[in-house]
Amino acid sequence: MRSSLWKQDTWIKPFFKQYRRALGLALALGVATFSFAAALMFTSGYLISGAPLVVSVLILNVPLGLVRLFGVGKPILNYFERLASHDWVLRMTSSLRLRLYRSVEREAMAFRSKRSTGDILGLLAQDVGHIQNLYLRTLFPLVVGGVLYLALVVCTGVLSLWLGLAVLVLTGLAAVAMPLISVLANAAREAQRKQARARLYDKLSDNVLGVADWVFSQRGADYLASHENDEARLRALRHRIERFNRLRDLALQVVFGLIVVVLLAWAGTRFGGLPDGAANWVAAFALGFFPLIEVFAPLSVASQEAAAYRDSLERLNDLPDPDAAPSGVVADGLGSAERAIPREPLDIRLSGVGFRYEGAHRDVLDGLDLEIPFGQKVAVLGRSGAGKSTLAGLIRGDLALQQGEATLGGVACSALGDDMARYLGVIQQRTYLFNDTLLENLRIGNPDASEDEVREALVRVGLGGLLERLPQGLGTLVDEAGMRFSGGERHRIALARVLLQGAPVVILDEPFAALDPATERELLDVLLDVLADRTLILITHHLQGVSRLDRVVFLADGGVSLDGAPAELERDSAYYRRLIALDRGGLQGA
Amino acid sequence: MNVCRVLGGGVNRIMLDRQLFSLPGVPGMLVGLCLLTLLRAAAIVGQAWFLATAIDVLRATGDLSSAAVSLGLFLACFIARQLVVLVQDRALESYAFARVAHLRQQVLARLFREGPALVSKLGTGNAVTLVLEGAEQVETYLRLVLPKIAGVLIVPLVLLLFAFPLDWVSGLIMLIVFPFIVFYMVLLGKTAKAEADKQHDEFNRLANHFVDTLRGIDTLKLFGRSRSRGKTVFEASERLRRATMKTLRTAILSGAVLDLFSTFSLAAVAIMLGFRLVDGTIAFFPALVVLIMVPEYFKPIREYASDYHASLDGKTALASMLKAAAEPAVLEPTPQSAKRAPRAWSESSVFRARAVSFAYEGHQALRDVSFEARGFSKVGIVGASGSGKSTLVNLLGGFAAPSSGGFQADLACPEWQKQLVYIPQDPYLFHASLRENIAFYRPDADEGQIEQAVRAVGLEELVQSLPQGLDTLIGEGARALSGGQAQRIALARALLDPSRHILLFDEPTAHLDIETELELKERMLPLMEGHLVFFATHRLHWIHDMDVVLVLEDGRLAQWGAPDELLSSPGALTRLFDQLEGGAR
Repeated sequence: MRSSLWKQDTWIKPFFKQYRRALGLALALGVATFSFAAALMFTSGYLISGAPLVVSVLILNVPLGLVRLFGVGKPILNYFERLASHDWVLRMTSSLRLRLYRSVEREAMAFRSKRSTGDILGLLAQDVGHIQNLYLRTLFPLVVGGVLYLALVVCTGVLSLWLGLAVLVLTGLAAVAMPLISVLANAAREAQRKQARARLYDKLSDNVLGVADWVFSQRGADYLASHENDEARLRALRHRIERFNRLRDLALQVVFGLIVVVLLAWAGTRFGGLPDGAANWVAAFALGFFPLIEVFAPLSVASQEAAAYRDSLERLNDLPDPDAAPSGVVADGLGSAERAIPREPLDIRLSGVGFRYEGAHRDVLDGLDLEIPFGQKVAVLGRSGAGKSTLAGLIRGDLALQQGEATLGGVACSALGDDMARYLGVIQQRTYLFNDTLLENLRIGNPDASEDEVREALVRVGLGGLLERLPQGLGTLVDEAGMRFSGGERHRIALARVLLQGAPVVILDEPFAALDPATERELLDVLLDVLADRTLILITHHLQGVSRLDRVVFLADGGVSLDGAPAELERDSAYYRRLIALDRGGLQGA
Repeated sequence: MNVCRVLGGGVNRIMLDRQLFSLPGVPGMLVGLCLLTLLRAAAIVGQAWFLATAIDVLRATGDLSSAAVSLGLFLACFIARQLVVLVQDRALESYAFARVAHLRQQVLARLFREGPALVSKLGTGNAVTLVLEGAEQVETYLRLVLPKIAGVLIVPLVLLLFAFPLDWVSGLIMLIVFPFIVFYMVLLGKTAKAEADKQHDEFNRLANHFVDTLRGIDTLKLFGRSRSRGKTVFEASERLRRATMKTLRTAILSGAVLDLFSTFSLAAVAIMLGFRLVDGTIAFFPALVVLIMVPEYFKPIREYASDYHASLDGKTALASMLKAAAEPAVLEPTPQSAKRAPRAWSESSVFRARAVSFAYEGHQALRDVSFEARGFSKVGIVGASGSGKSTLVNLLGGFAAPSSGGFQADLACPEWQKQLVYIPQDPYLFHASLRENIAFYRPDADEGQIEQAVRAVGLEELVQSLPQGLDTLIGEGARALSGGQAQRIALARALLDPSRHILLFDEPTAHLDIETELELKERMLPLMEGHLVFFATHRLHWIHDMDVVLVLEDGRLAQWGAPDELLSSPGALTRLFDQLEGGAR
C-alpha cells in the first residue's frame, strides 16, 4: 500500500532529481557532521590513552591536530548542513507551490463545488508545509542514518569480520528493525489518532458554531460530557502509542549499551596489553560510538512520523497533473487552434439548456430558453436551487453544457476559455481582496491600467473619498490592521475592477445578499450609472430597485416562469404584485 | 511555516516562563523531577566511572574477564539512566494531561455557558483551535520544558562536583565555558529576534501569499489572470526563501556556537589532559572519566535550546488558555441581580426596559431605551443598520448585560434563556440528523410531536425528498439545506417546546429570496400567537403584524407604539420607509 503510493508519487520524487546536487550536498554534510563528532571522541580517546606512554609530546602532534580539527569542524559542518538542507527544502517548496497552483488553477471554478467540504485550499497549502517536514524530519535523518550505518559496518568489518557482523546485527536492530517495528506497531494507531482528532475538531467546530442553541437549550453540560468522553478515548489511544514509544526507547538504549560493550570488548581483547601504543585504540573504540547514538536513536520516531504525511501526499497526488492533457470536464479553450471571436452585438442566447449536477436527483435547468440582447438590464430571481448561479456559470462557460446551446455573440460560451474575461465581468456575492495594495487589487481587472486610470475608476464607483482618507493612498495594504473594508466598499472595489476590465457584459451574482437596504440602494444607483452602456445580469433575491431595470426573469422548475418588463408584470401578474407589495413593506398581513 | 518560527526563539530559550509556575502542581512536579534528575546524574557519573574502569583494565591487560564486572555495571548504569527517563516521562504524561484537561474544561465550560458573547469575542476558529490545538501545545510544552529545567539545574552541577576532585583543570574549563554559552545564547537569540522582527511584516505577507492566491483563485480566473499568476507565486516563494535563509543564518548560528563551545571544550579538555598525562601530573583513569563526562555536561543546555518552537507555541497557547479561563465573565450574575431572576412568562407578565444603555469599546451603541410590552404581544424592532438593533437583540437574548439601566428582571441568566427561542438570520444546523436538529431543544420529543412540528412549518416536502427522511444527516459536510429550510427547522424547534413562551427573531428573512419569504411569513405568523415576540428586521412589511414597533435611530429609541399610529403621521418610522425604498411606498 505504502510502496504503491510511493511508486505512483508525482509530487516528491521529481524534485529529488531536479535538485539532486543541492540534496547531495546537504546529505553529504549531514553524514560528515556526525562522522566528525564520532571522530572527535575517537581521537580524544586515543589521545589520552596514548599520552601517558609517550616520552615526547611531539608524537602526539597528529592526534592533537585531529582533535582540534574535529572539534572545530563538527559545529561548522553542522551549521552548513542545516543551511544547505533548509535552502534545499525551501527551493523545493517554491517549485511545489508552483506545481500545486498550476494544478488547482486548471479547475479553479469547479474546485469549490466539487470539493465543497472544509477549506480544502488551506489544507492543500498546509500539505506543502507537511512535505517540508517530511524531508527535514524523516527523509534526511533516515538517509544520513542509513549511510552512517553502512559506513560503520564496513569500517568494523574491515577490522574484523566478527566485529563487523556484530555491529551489523546490533546497529541494524536500532537503525532498521526498531523503526520497522515502530511503524508496524504505531502507524495504524497514529492514523487512528489522527482520524479521531479530526473528528473531534469537526465536532467541536460544529457545536461552537451552534453554541447559542446549546446555551438556550440549557444542555451545554451534555455536550461537555460528550466532549470529555471523546477526549478520554483519544487519550487512551495516545497513551498506548506513548507506552510503546517509552519501551522502545528503553530497548534502544539497551542495544546502544550493548554495542559499546561489544566494541570495547573487541578492542580490549584485540589491543589490550599490547606494547607500542596499540593499547591506545581501546578507549578510542569505546568512546567513538557515543556521538552516533544521536544519529540512530531518532530514526524510529522519524519513520513512525512518516505515516502522518501520507494523507498530505495522497491529497496532492489526487490533484490533476498540471502537465497532462486537459481533462475535458471543463472546456479550456486552450486546445482549439483558431480562436473563436464573438461577433457584435454581444447578444446572449440560451436555447434548450439542461444541466444536472453530479449526484443530484433532478435537473437544475431543463430546456431553458433565454435571450438577452446586448445592453439589456435583466434581473434574475428564483428560489434557492432554481438555477440562478448555474445559469451564470453556463453563460461564463465555467460549467460544461449538457443539453442545448449557450452562445455569446454567436460563439459557444464554453469555447472562449480564459478569453471570456474580455467579454464578461462578474461581481460575486463576496468580493475577494488579495492581501496586497489597493492598486494591485484593482489591477487584477487590467494589469496595464495606469495609476490615474485606477484612481478614476475608484472615483466613479464612489470611493474617491475613501481613497483620500487612506494613509498611503493606492499603496495601502488592504488588510493592514484597522483597515478593513465594509461589505459595500468591497463591492464597489469589485465594480471598479470590472470597470477597469472593460467587459461589455457584467453578471452580478447576488451582490446584495449581505448588505443592508440603504447600502444596497446606493450601490444599485452606482451600478446603473457606471454600467449604463453594458449588458447587466443582476441575480437577486428580492425586488428592491428592480423596477429600474429593463426586464425581470423568474426561474422555476428548470425554466423561466415569469418574464417581462417590471411595469408589464405589475400590470399583468397578481403574483408579482403580491411580491412587490411585500418588498415595499406595504403588505397587510400575508 | 515552521522555519520562520525557529527565528526569534532565542530569548525565550533562556528566560523562564513565569506563568508556568502559577499552574497548580508545577513546583511540586519540578521538585520531583529534580530528584529524578539527581538519580539520572548519578547514573551518568556511574556510567562514566565504570566505562573508564573497564577501559583502564582492558587497556592494561586485554583480559576481558577481569573487566566483566565493570562492563556489567556500565551497562546497568546506562540502562538505569533510560529507566529514570521512562519513569519521568510517565509521570509527566499523566500530570500534563490532567493539568491541561482541567484547563480545557474550564475554557469549554465557559464557552458553553456564556455562548455567543464569548465565542464572538474569541472568534469561532480561535475558540476551537484554543481548545484542541492550544491544549495539545500546552501539554507538549509542560512535558518539554519541565524536565529541561530540571536537567539544566541538576546535571551540570552534579557532574561538575565530580569533575573537580578528579581534575580541577578540566573542571575549571567546564565551569568557565558555561556562562559564556548562556551569554551567547541570549545575545544571538536577541540578534535573531531583531532580524526576524525587522522582516516580520514582509515575512507574513510572503508566507501568506500562497494561501491568499489560492483562496482568490476564482477571482483571478474570472478576470483571466490565473494562468499568468503562477510566476508570481513562484517568485514570492523564492523571495520568502531568500528572506528566511537570511534570518536562518543568524538563528542557526546560535545553535552552531553552542555546539562549537561544547566540542571546543571537549577538545580543550582532551588536549589539556593529554599534555598533563605526558607530564604524568594526572593519572589515566580520572582523565578518562572526565573526558567521558564532558559531552554529558553540555547536553542539558543544548537540549534546553532545541525544540524552541514547540515551547514557544506552548508558551503562547498557555497564556491564551489562562486568559480565556480567567477573564472576567461578561455574564456572571451578580448576587444583587440574582434576586431579580425572571419568572415564567405568562399572559399577565409585563416586560419593561428602563433607560437601557450599552457601551461597547467606547462606542455608545444604545442610549436610554425605555419601553413596555404586556403578556403575549409582538414587538417589532426596526431601524437602519447601525441604529442599535442588533445590540438590543443581544441584550434581549441575554448575550450581554446593559451597561446602565435595566429590564424588569435580569435577562442574562439561564432562567430567562430557558424560556426563550432565538431565531437568527441563519439558524445553525448541526451536523446531525434532521430529527436531532428539529428536536434539539427537546431531545425527548416523540415521533408524533416531531411530525406535527414538521407539518406546521411546511417541511413535509423536504422530509419526503430526503433519502432517509428524518434520519438523513444534514449540516456542514453533509446535505446542505437552503436558508428557507434552515428557518423552518428553527421554527420547528421553537414549536416543539411549548414551555418556551418568548420568541426572539433577528432578521429571520433578510437574506431569503422573496418567494420563500412570502411562504415562510404565512407559516410564521400563526406560530407567534401565545408568545411574547421580539422581531428585529429591516423588511418593513412585518411591522403591520406587530402590536408594538420600536424605531431605533442612532442608538436611541426614536419612536414606539402601535404601527398604524406611527404611520399615520410623519416621524421616525415614515422616515425609515422613505430611506429604505426611496419613497416608493
